[in-house]
Amino acid sequence: MTQEKLLSLRNLTLEVAHRGVEVVKDVSFDLEAGEIFGIVGESGSGKSLATRALISLLPPAIRKIAGQVIYKGRDITSMSEADLRRMRGAEIGLVFQEPMTSLNPSMTIGRQLEEGLTLHTNDTPAERRKKILAMLERVGIREPERALSAYPHEFSGGMRQRIMLASVMLLKPALLIADEPTTALDAVIQRDVMELMVELTKAEGTAVLLISHDLPMVARYTSRIVVMEKGAIVEAGTTEQILETPQHAYTRKLLSSLPIRGEVRTIDATSAPMVSAHDIVVDYPGRKSLLKKGVPKRALHGVSIDIHEGEVVALVGGSGSGKTTLGRTIAGLVKETEGEILFKGRKRDADWQDYRLNCQMVFQDPYSSLDPRMTILALVEEALRLVPGIDRAAKTKRAYETLEEVGLGPEYAPRYPHELSGGQRQRVAIARAIARRPRFLIADEPVSALDVTVRAQVLTLFSDLQKRYGFSCLFISHDLGVVEQVADRVVVMQDGRIIEQGDRDTIFDTPKEAYTRRLLSAIPALDLNETGGVKLKWRLEN
Amino acid sequence: MKHFTLNGLIGGVLVAILLTVAAIGLIWTPYDPMKLSFTARLAAPSAAHWLGTDEFGRDVASRLMIGARASVWIGCLTVGFAAIVGTLIGMISGYARGWIDGVIMAINNALLAFPGILLALGLLAVFGANQYGIIFALGIAYTPSMARVVRGAVLSLREREFIEASKIMGNSEIYTMLRHILPNCLAPITVLSTSMFGWAILSESALSFLGLGVPPPAPTWGNMLAAGRPFIEQAVWLGLFPGLCIALTLLGINLLGDALRDKLDPRMRGLK
Repeated sequence: MTQEKLLSLRNLTLEVAHRGVEVVKDVSFDLEAGEIFGIVGESGSGKSLATRALISLLPPAIRKIAGQVIYKGRDITSMSEADLRRMRGAEIGLVFQEPMTSLNPSMTIGRQLEEGLTLHTNDTPAERRKKILAMLERVGIREPERALSAYPHEFSGGMRQRIMLASVMLLKPALLIADEPTTALDAVIQRDVMELMVELTKAEGTAVLLISHDLPMVARYTSRIVVMEKGAIVEAGTTEQILETPQHAYTRKLLSSLPIRGEVRTIDATSAPMVSAHDIVVDYPGRKSLLKKGVPKRALHGVSIDIHEGEVVALVGGSGSGKTTLGRTIAGLVKETEGEILFKGRKRDADWQDYRLNCQMVFQDPYSSLDPRMTILALVEEALRLVPGIDRAAKTKRAYETLEEVGLGPEYAPRYPHELSGGQRQRVAIARAIARRPRFLIADEPVSALDVTVRAQVLTLFSDLQKRYGFSCLFISHDLGVVEQVADRVVVMQDGRIIEQGDRDTIFDTPKEAYTRRLLSAIPALDLNETGGVKLKWRLEN
Repeated sequence: MKHFTLNGLIGGVLVAILLTVAAIGLIWTPYDPMKLSFTARLAAPSAAHWLGTDEFGRDVASRLMIGARASVWIGCLTVGFAAIVGTLIGMISGYARGWIDGVIMAINNALLAFPGILLALGLLAVFGANQYGIIFALGIAYTPSMARVVRGAVLSLREREFIEASKIMGNSEIYTMLRHILPNCLAPITVLSTSMFGWAILSESALSFLGLGVPPPAPTWGNMLAAGRPFIEQAVWLGLFPGLCIALTLLGINLLGDALRDKLDPRMRGLK
């Protein structure tokens, strides 16, 4: 093929100004018109900075020291600001990760969509309106007329990302840069948005530069991929090559970090369950106004769940399914409106002290779950504060031992959380939860905020600890890949109800409910081959 | 990473000079600040009297030193009062929420609606015009702003996961407040306290200027400024030096406060 290159990046090198640290090193790749191209890398790999350089939108602290960005034969890096402005939007569109912050909250959807058209086209207002309505309809917004005068907060995250996509595609750009476009969305919505993006861009002949840490997701939609690590491209090739015959050690590491199905364990389900929740109903108080009494919003509609000794039960579902509410209710952070919770066969509230000692929790966000003003040692020691029967010295000793167990040596003890990486912080959070030797652990999306390779390490650590101490666990996650690796049993929730539950293998291999099938179709099944590569199979597709 | 800015340094030096002068004033002054001398009335600045003398022949430099002590003392106690009471009220209000928060904030907002100096004037009328009256009045006038800032910090902190983690560990509410919430509020409290220190010194001067502060003959910058006013044409130094002291002190405190805010408030980081 002697097709004209749409965009080529030549030897791009970026550094942090004044400090001389190179954050992007000698990066080159070509993009052809109409193709979908992927950049895969973890945080700190420089993938976002490299793409920002494509449209000369680098943060002020970053300086280009070498390289060219050639777009349709012109070097973008030497263009004037006015030329750049004409090109951004009209020629190159951008979709960012955060649908919550990339739309202006104080402007109606209609006005935001109109902005681009007013700037880059000579359409009359009537034409603009027609185009906008047609585009909103195409991205699947119900009642597009009404959406025009609505504000961003009236839409869910997935809908906002659709609107974002609509606003970019209205101008029919030749290139769409999508930087982690679906990372903030749950699996099912993620897939819908991606399918829509692919469909729209294919119809308009737009090339897509898809940037993500999620290798399977990128692999699903792209024809070629580059893998970046620490600012440099370590491997480039067709998607198939990268997946099936990876050459570089880092690529192999990324692939081997993808979750695979864990072993089948037999759980004694005949004995009385460790934790048992019956017909839990939770109402959140509705918004009250001066004259109107608030109508409570029901988050859980009579949910029952049993967790046996030593069993890991995964609670899965999309956002708004009530899975987090159920976890927090069992933990005692949310008061149930109706229903009862039993612990070791007795009412949970009858011996609250005992329950508090034996039920611990690991939270999703390791940046917010550790008190920033306490040292790592103090954080773990605090978990032992109320444990009866051991003295101070023994508590300190236990804290050090627990840190050791999660892979943090004594040199970490005097540090503060901000000095640690995300993965290390989550290790501290796990250490804090298991220091008391609880019988029951609730883990709310414990690895969602972590990078792929770190996530694999933390999951392995979690499984090891679970085997060693044999605690029961309620594992809440929207990521079915992770669930497949750690869970013994899977409970699927939708709209505050449990719709399906069963052994992990039963749920993953022969799901009954349509919703479960949709969840599963969003994640790949992996076949490892002997070269360290994988073959991705998308489930339930024909 | 830079540890201080030029502005912060200037502010720090000015505040340090103030504190040093106030401390020296405790043990030594060039002349007895109360001693009258009819031979040296309204003397211009000279080698003997660096900053001149006032209408009773008292040494202005000595009186300014004693005045600095009064300013620092009043500033410290006022800020201490507002910080402790305001933090307590703010924490209770932010942590309890619900109707307790509603009642406390209603009173707080009503107090905030009065200009601080007006509120202090009213309170002084009750407590009487003396040093401790001023401290009490200004302290009460400043408490609402402190309470509001602390409440805001607590409201956002209590939604963080580490507060829930503390609950999950079974810690009591009091323990959680003292161990997790209070230390994380210290940054905004410190920053506000610094600017309050400046406001307190200014308000004290203003009240003394109006004759409602520390009564003469005890010197404060405010009542020296007031006393110098009738002689402004014959002896400009009587008004000039106390005025300069007030202006430089406030400048120093504001610069230092800005530097502290940039350093302590993570939201301000990375903006430069």
